[in-house]
Parts: sequence; structure tokens; C-alpha cells
Amino acid sequence: MLSTFLKLRVFDDSGRRCHLDDIAVELLERDYPAVTYLVYRNSGRDRMMLTWQAVTGIDWGRARINVNNFDAAQSVMDESSPQEVLLKRDVLDALVLDLNKRLATRANDLLLEEENGKLLLKGADTSSLAILRRLSHRLFGSGPSRSPCDWKYIEFLRGHPHAVRNGAGYHMRIKRLPPGEIAGLCNSLPYLHAAELLTLLPHEVAAETLAAMMPDRQVQLFGELEDKQAVRLLARMKTNDAVNLLRRLTVESTTSFLKRLPKARSDKLVDLLRYPEATVGGIMTNDMVVLALDQTIREARLRLHERLKQTDFTHFLYVVESEASPVLRGTTSLPDLIVAEDERRLDEIMNIYVTTLDPLEPADSGAYRVLNSHLAAMPVIGHEKQLLGIVTVDAAVMQVAPQSWTVQAPKIFS
Amino acid sequence: MNERPARSGLEPLARAEAPAAAPRPKTIRTAVRINIRGRSVRLRGLRLPSTSIWRWLAILGPGLIASSAGNDAGGIATYSSTGAQYGYELIWVMLLITVSLCVVQEMCARLGAVTGRGLLDLIRERFGVGWAVFAVGVILIANGGLIVSEFVGIGAATELLGVSKLFTVPTAAALIFYLVVFGNYWRVEKIFLLMTLVFFAYPIAAFMAHPHWGEVARGAFVPKLHRDSNYIFLLVGLIGTTITPYMQLFQQSSVVERGGDRIHYGSERVDVYSGAIFSNLMSIFIIIATAATLHAIGKNNIDTAADAARALEPVAGHFAGIIFAVGLVGASLLAAAVLPLATSYAVSEAFGFSKGVGLDFRRAPLFFTLFTGLIIFGAAAALIPNVPVIKLLVWIQVLNGVLLPIFLVFILLLINDQRLTKELKNTRLYNVLGWTTFAVITLAVAIMLLMQFLGLWGVKLFGS
Repeated sequence: MLSTFLKLRVFDDSGRRCHLDDIAVELLERDYPAVTYLVYRNSGRDRMMLTWQAVTGIDWGRARINVNNFDAAQSVMDESSPQEVLLKRDVLDALVLDLNKRLATRANDLLLEEENGKLLLKGADTSSLAILRRLSHRLFGSGPSRSPCDWKYIEFLRGHPHAVRNGAGYHMRIKRLPPGEIAGLCNSLPYLHAAELLTLLPHEVAAETLAAMMPDRQVQLFGELEDKQAVRLLARMKTNDAVNLLRRLTVESTTSFLKRLPKARSDKLVDLLRYPEATVGGIMTNDMVVLALDQTIREARLRLHERLKQTDFTHFLYVVESEASPVLRGTTSLPDLIVAEDERRLDEIMNIYVTTLDPLEPADSGAYRVLNSHLAAMPVIGHEKQLLGIVTVDAAVMQVAPQSWTVQAPKIFS
Repeated sequence: MNERPARSGLEPLARAEAPAAAPRPKTIRTAVRINIRGRSVRLRGLRLPSTSIWRWLAILGPGLIASSAGNDAGGIATYSSTGAQYGYELIWVMLLITVSLCVVQEMCARLGAVTGRGLLDLIRERFGVGWAVFAVGVILIANGGLIVSEFVGIGAATELLGVSKLFTVPTAAALIFYLVVFGNYWRVEKIFLLMTLVFFAYPIAAFMAHPHWGEVARGAFVPKLHRDSNYIFLLVGLIGTTITPYMQLFQQSSVVERGGDRIHYGSERVDVYSGAIFSNLMSIFIIIATAATLHAIGKNNIDTAADAARALEPVAGHFAGIIFAVGLVGASLLAAAVLPLATSYAVSEAFGFSKGVGLDFRRAPLFFTLFTGLIIFGAAAALIPNVPVIKLLVWIQVLNGVLLPIFLVFILLLINDQRLTKELKNTRLYNVLGWTTFAVITLAVAIMLLMQFLGLWGVKLFGS
């Protein structure tokens, strides 16, 4: 355990000795980082660091670490490598994420083990026994810890988003979790830790994670992200998730982000932001597959193939007059399109009796109409019958469900 | 036949009428015109900051209500004792404490916003497990005492209404436990808060008792020191009840809970200042009301809740006891629920234990054990027979005053830690005010302890 290890004294070949102050490890992506340096104070009270290669052996019985020579030590620089952390200063007592138990906890002690001449950081003891052991100087709680967390499943966060950009090492196993679970972990962390976590995730995962958080938390974390990263996340979020976030920012920030997003994306968001929040337009998405009336099934499938990669909602396909005129003429479903013969035309298989919504209708009444219809989505059309967007069943549920429930509700569509 | 257009879905889309305009929402936001890549667009979907009075009420409201509720059993006992014993002479202390309270609470709010973390959490990470255990010990003593005082308050108030505390205190403890662990406490909390609003009767009573306003002004601006140990004792009690360690924990964690952050930090400051000023204004009115009613007739000692309630007689007449009891029960129930909960949260946070009322004993054993233990301890201690109620309440506030400097040191060290607070670290003025507060309180505590210690041998400091 680190608390025990720090009690050892360091002796060199010529019999000089000093107190161990800390030890450094390099937290790269490997599972169990090795100790790289011993940090101690010399007789002049200067902090010195000695590379692990200088260690000739650890004598646990006599509580000492034997090293070659203190003369090889160098003084501790303020600017150390970003991957390098001091276990006592940075990790011991710090908040860590235990991915196995899916919770944020504290490293009450750290488990170190010798392996092939290296000292490896193997785990974190998060139990209360570890605290007792440290406070009582091993008088109590000195037995083996019942369940030290395997370091492989620990994510150590520095509490600053800049750490990621500076190249600090992370395990990155967290990106294997579903975004909802990552969002849950983020909610249990202080906001700077959560922003750091968001920064280290791949953009797609980060965008989904951000969308799964409470609205106020989203705004708080978004403010901590670098502008470039914020734009990337906005570009990857589902359109109405992005709109929900943008409406909570200041007008200046929203304008700035809309200007920096790719034009097609920005236009889509602007089209949604035109509508007040309490209207159907305020809860609709315009991220759906639109096909032209005169297409054959084969052409429609080809078109669909391109759009499937980018579009969120694909259960229904919306058939409009032509590419130039977005007047809604009918709808069809994905299964119908797949089973139809190649040479048939879309207008032969589409449903022309379509229930629609008005964009300025109150959001609640629109949401109830969607829910009562038992449809996956309902189109929203303007006065010229042009297709403006759709209200999905998810958006409808979010609109009418209590807020405490909406955070946990699974979202299939926008 | 006059045909009305059919609803969508009944006719083919191509033949259907254009949709009729649906009823619009009652309020539609003002559009904001913005320019994006040379294109001017009008957006109605943005949330604009409210410019009306509601915005200010939203900022100030929670602080004002919380500070009104902050005058709990211990506070009322201490302020009433001060007014009864020294009349208006200690109002100047309250003015100075207000400045200190603003400074201390603002530092905690800033720490919460800049780090997103609670006070014990920061102590653990910055000073290590030893200091964290020490701070936890201090907070357990301070808050444990306050929890006892809340149950004492409940017992005293209900006895004013003629119901024995032997029945009401255990019932209140069980009710609080049930509401927090199994029920919807946050809904019931509003009822407790409403009950505390009757304490607004104090300012009215203060005016209706026709105090000598000249004397009040003199008490507020001309410091008058006494050399007796009781004066110092009450002085520390006043400090302890106004700037309690619990309030600092609560202030910081409430900023964290509300999602305050360093970028938008600002409105919290207004909330803190207004809450502190309002709360202390209420306290001053309690002192004035008590001074004008009890001190004026030579009643210098308050021994029971019934004595304290008499300060409300100018406004409530014969109903003073009932009004006082209702307010006291509300404030005490509110604090008796929040204090164990906040303490359990803070301690669990410091040690990294699972926490939250959404969990259960199996998943968060230490959190729930501590929460339950604090309630049982508070209720059991409040049932000890023949305890002088008001004196006990004042002693507990003094204990909080004694422990306060320990927390002030932690707060001042943390807020000045450049690595932690960066550009929001203390200004020089804040440091001067903060360290002066620490020094004065420490001095007062030291003098009080010395006087008490020497008093054991019959020696009197200052020859008094």
C-alpha cells in the first residue's frame, strides 16, 4: 500500500539516507502504470527525484529502499510531464471513477506491487478500513483490503479539462460504457471533473453523453469546453438536443456557435430555433428522411442509403412534391420501402392520408396528439403544406412527462 | 351546406385544405434578430433573461426564505437572551457580524462555484485525510449540538401548546426520518417554511412595543463593552448562532447543488449578501422586540420558551405563545431534517462513501447510519429531564462560536489557493476582512474560555 511504502526510508550505497516524500508514475494508457521516480527531500530540504532504475532493492523487513547513489538525483521541476503524476500529491485522497461499480469514490489508499523488478500501481483501496489504517499508522485495518479496486478499471481525473489537451494519460475504458451511464457518472462528479471526462471522450460519445444530462448541467459543462470542441459536439448532437442546449445559452453564444457550425447544420438548427419553445415547432426535429415523389423504389433506396448514415429518425420516410418543392404528399415506412418492387414508384406505395401538426400549436396538445395516435412520429407542415419537421414519440413523451422522469427515459429518436 | 375543412388524415394530402391555424400558446416569446453569415433571421426559440421583478425575486427569494428559517430555536434563544439581558447594547455587534457573515458566506459560495465541490471534500483533497477527519469531528460536534437544539426547540414549542415533549420529540424524529428516507420531504419542507413566516411578527412587534429609537441607534453605533463573563459568553453565542460552521457547509453545497460555476458567478453574490443582511435584520428585530418588552420591565433572564414568547405580545397579545410555538416548530423541524442530512452528505463526501436519500441502508450504509444516528442522538438528548432549555440552547450556540475559527482557517486557506480558485481568489480587502473576522472571533473565544477557566478557581479577569 502507498501509505506503507511512504514510511520507508531511502538509503544509498554510501549509507546516506532520506525520507521518501512521494512517488511518480506515468499514467499512460497501460493498465498498471509503473513507478518512474522516487521523490524525496535532501538534507537541504530541496525536493529531489531519483529514477526507479536507481533502486537496487526493497527491504520490507528493515523498512528501507536501497538505491545506488543519491548523486544521480535531479531536483523536482515544477513543469513535469503531463502524463506523470505524483501518487501522494495527486492521486491519494482524490476522487476517482470506479468503472466496475459505476461510481465516483475516493482513493483512500493505493495498492502497489512489485513485478519483474518494477513497482506497479495495481489498485485503489476505497474502503473505510484504508482510512483507519492510515490514521492509526497500521495499528488497525492493516489486514489485506477486502476489495481493492483494480486500477485497470479506475479512471483518474485531474479535475481540469485542460489536462486532456495537455496529453495526460487515461485508461479510456470509460468510452465503452453507454452514454447514459457516462452521463450518470458525470452527474456524480464536480463539474470540472465532468468537463474533463467529456473532453477525453470521442466526440460522438461525448455528444450523446452531453445530451443525456440534465439541461442545467449541460450548460454548466458546455461553458467549460473549448470553443472548438463545443462546436464539434453541437455538430454531432441530434438536432433537437442541440437546439435545446442552444436555447439555454446566451444570445451571443448561440449566435457565435451558429456562425461556426457547418452551414447545412446551422441552417437546420436556425429553422428549429425560429419556433417558441412552448409550440410544436419548439419540440419538433427536422432530421428525417425526405424523398421526392417521382422517384422509383430503387432510386429511393439509393437515396436512403446515403441518408441513413446521417439521419436520426428513419422509421417513417416523408414523400414531398420534388427536391425543389418540399410540399408533403405522403409517408411510407422503412419496411414498406424495403419489401416493395424496385420499379414501382413511391406514390404507389405511400400513405396519402396523413395526420399533421401545425408548428405554432401548443407543444402539449401536439405531444398528446402524437401519443394518442400511437405513431412513432407525426409530420409538422406549414400553411403551404410544406414539410417543416416531425414530432417523434420521444419528443412527445419528454414534453408531457415529469422532469424527474425525462432524464431517465430512454430516447430512441430525437 | 357550409363545409368546414376536414382535419388532417381524412382526405389525401394533395386534396386537403391548407391546415387551419391552430390555437396559439398564450404567451409567445419576443423574437431575437440575429445575423448569421450575412443572413438576418428572427428566432423566437431562445430563452432571454427575464428583466422583470421576477428575475430579482428568483435570485433573492431562496436566500430570503432560507434566512428567515435560519432563525431557529438556538438563534431565537440567543437573540432573546441578548435583548433581555443587555437591551439594545449589543446591536452594534450584530452590525459587525453582518459584514463578517457576508464575507464568510460569499467566500464559501465562491469556493462552491469555482470548484463545484463541498467544503469537506476540498479539505480532504487539499489537506489530506488527517485534517479531513479533524474537520469531520468538528462538524459532527457543532452540528450534533445544533440538532439537539432543534429537538429541544420542538419540545419547548409544543409544551407551550400544552403537549408533552415526551410525545412530540420522538414523534417529530420519526416523522423526519420517514419523510426524508421514504416520503417526499421536499414537498413537506414548504409547509415548514411557511410556518417560519410567522417570525415576521418580530419586526412588527419591535415597532409596536414602541422602543426608544434613540437608544436603539446608540446601541447600534456606539459600542459599549462589559467586563463580565456573561457578556463575553453571549457575544460568542451571538457569533456562533449567526455565523455557524453549518451555514458555511450549507452555503457552499447549495451553490454546487444549484449548478453554480465560475463563468456565471455573480448572482450568487447578490443572493448571499441579501440573505445575510435580511437574516441579521430579523435577528436585530428579535433583540429590539425582546429588549423593548422584557428588558424594559426588568425581566433580564429568559428561562423558558414562554418567557421568550412574551416578546411577541405587542403584536399577538394573548396569542403570542401560540404564534411563537408555530414558528418555532416550523423552524426547528426544518433544521432538524436538513442538519442531519447535510452533515451525512458532507461526511460521506469527505470519505468517498456512497450517499443520497435515493439509495438505501444496504447501498449507502454509512450515510444512513450517520443520518439515523444524528436524529436519534438529537431527540434522545432533547428528552433529558430538567434541562434549562434556553440556557442549553445558548450554550450550544457558544459551542458553535468556539468551533467557528477552525472552519474559518480552512476556508481562508482554500480560497487563497491559487491552483484552486485561480482568478476568483480573494482580493486584498476580502483577506483583510476575513482574517480580521478570524482574529476577533478567536480573541473573543480565547477570552471567554480563559474567563470560564479562571472562574473555576474563583479568579475574575479584568477584576470584574
